[in-house]
Amino acid sequence: MLRYTARRLLLMSITVIGMVTVVFFLLRAIPGDPASYMLGDYATEESVAALKAELGLDRPVWEQYLGFVKRALTGDLGTSVVTGQPAFDEVLESIPWSAALSVSGIVIAVLAGVPLGVMSAVRHGTFADLFIMFGALVGISFPVFWVGLVCILLLAHEVRLFPALGASSSTDFFTQVHHLMLPALVLGFSVAAYIARLTRSAMLEVLGQDFVRVARAMGVPERRIVYRLALRNALIPVLAVIGVTFAWSLGSAILVEAVFSRPGLGSMILKAVFARDYQLVQAGVFVLASAVVLVNTSLDIVYGWVDPRVSVS
Amino acid sequence: MSDGAVLAVRDLSTVFPSEAGPVTTVDGVSFSLGAGETLAVVGESGSGKTMTFLSVLRLVPPPGRVTGGEVLLEGADIAALPASEMRWIRGAGIAMVFQDPLTALNPVFTIGDQMLEVIRAHTAMSPRQARALALEVLERVHIPAPAKRIDDYPHQLSGGMRQRVLIAMAIALRPKVLIADEPTTALDVTVQAQILELLAELRSELGMGMVLITHDLGLVARYADRVAVMYAGRVVETSPIAQGFGRSRHPYTRSLFRSIPRLDLPADQPLTVIAGQPPDLARLPAGCAFEPRCFLGNGREDCRSERPALLPTTSDRHLSACPHWRALIDAEAGA
Repeated sequence: MLRYTARRLLLMSITVIGMVTVVFFLLRAIPGDPASYMLGDYATEESVAALKAELGLDRPVWEQYLGFVKRALTGDLGTSVVTGQPAFDEVLESIPWSAALSVSGIVIAVLAGVPLGVMSAVRHGTFADLFIMFGALVGISFPVFWVGLVCILLLAHEVRLFPALGASSSTDFFTQVHHLMLPALVLGFSVAAYIARLTRSAMLEVLGQDFVRVARAMGVPERRIVYRLALRNALIPVLAVIGVTFAWSLGSAILVEAVFSRPGLGSMILKAVFARDYQLVQAGVFVLASAVVLVNTSLDIVYGWVDPRVSVS
Repeated sequence: MSDGAVLAVRDLSTVFPSEAGPVTTVDGVSFSLGAGETLAVVGESGSGKTMTFLSVLRLVPPPGRVTGGEVLLEGADIAALPASEMRWIRGAGIAMVFQDPLTALNPVFTIGDQMLEVIRAHTAMSPRQARALALEVLERVHIPAPAKRIDDYPHQLSGGMRQRVLIAMAIALRPKVLIADEPTTALDVTVQAQILELLAELRSELGMGMVLITHDLGLVARYADRVAVMYAGRVVETSPIAQGFGRSRHPYTRSLFRSIPRLDLPADQPLTVIAGQPPDLARLPAGCAFEPRCFLGNGREDCRSERPALLPTTSDRHLSACPHWRALIDAEAGA
């Protein structure tokens, strides 16, 4: 178990380093640079060159990369050229916003998706199944920003259930939760649609297995068969997918944050890319990649716990 | 003979709707089983052996439906029970052991957990009592060190061990009838004998009636008291083993015997097969379902037009659904 965890941690760091490296070079491959952005359209070539020299952007890319790695190893991810703040601190500030949105989105998705998927499988072929699967199809087919806009229009504008803005400057907990609800529901809906479909097909497959027939032949009540004996089997693929879904929800969160004008990691990285704020993008990607890898690794460990056949060696 | 029978089935029928019309997979099947008796049910694949007993337990997969018949368990008709009460019969009154022990156990629960699920579905035992009972039955099916094994997952056990676990699960509640559906087909030959010996032992110890569904005629002679031969969803012959299983009074049974590969014949001699194919259940002939393949009745007018009933032959314990059964005996006497 210890060796397994150690190996996973090593693999994790390699993945994160790889991600950050790719982003480092990609950023420098796109036209434009922070110096020209900061000085605007009417800057002279000399002043741009001077600023570039000051920021170290005039040196060869590999040299910049080595410098970046050296500093990153000491825990310094550079300074945002736009705000002048340490990039990592900027990222840390936006994490709670993103975490709140993604986590509540995933929680809503699992709490709604799994039971709906099970219900759909148990009553497959009936009207309830048809209805749930139609809803899931809508959730998968309609882009999350469109669903977000429609929800704002209906639930914030027409029926004033929720605020239209996904964030508030208030420090009151309930006000914050109230603002978070609509964006979380919108994000949760699209992820729930996916999870419901997956749970349904996994459950249908499991309910056709021999051991379900055996349990029935032994008089185990249907309720126990579905919700205990079969569900744990069906959850194995679902669990595996939640990790992937988490990465995907962070991606969708960017769109949700944009629609609801909510601060967060996604919208921060987006703005930083436009400003060619290299350090901030790098720090943001570093944190995002770490989060995704961390979630996937912990799910792998939980996976071994749910499915005894997965040996940890 | 149905008096004192622990399980008596009369005129049981099961129909599956299909595009080609209704398919009768179990067609008026009757048999009875005494306590401590083993009834072997033989027949080709698709002859309705398994479906008959799924019908008894009312576990026919949809869209199939039991359309009629009586199932008397110790004299009480369980076919008339509402669906909600059937679950109390399953496992506790009639238990079933299936063909493939590799897929019959839930891979993500320990065997103890699965046994407790069954025991507690029928009794009000505490988890501790149920575990004690599980250990007791595991011991009874000769699983070494049951206290260690009970917390194993199925994949940690061999195929033979898993079948023992399933048998333990099936006898835990002391059912009156144990149905073993080809319990050894998926196992190694050496393990097969052990499992069958175990079943025979449990049957006499617990006084259960046992049904052994098989297509291995060698097993029938060794382990069964009586045999029922099925063809196209119907019982075509039932006879006590002691009264000459080799002296069958139905041409289909005779043909089955002739098609057993024999070691005493030269190896290059082709195997004997029954000509033709089992009939399409959606398009059964009006007469005897075996007539097109029958060495005795093929082409006979009466065989083609009339569906023969299962009737007593020389004794009322030896029934045959062939009206020409005497011809089989005459041929024997002549030979």
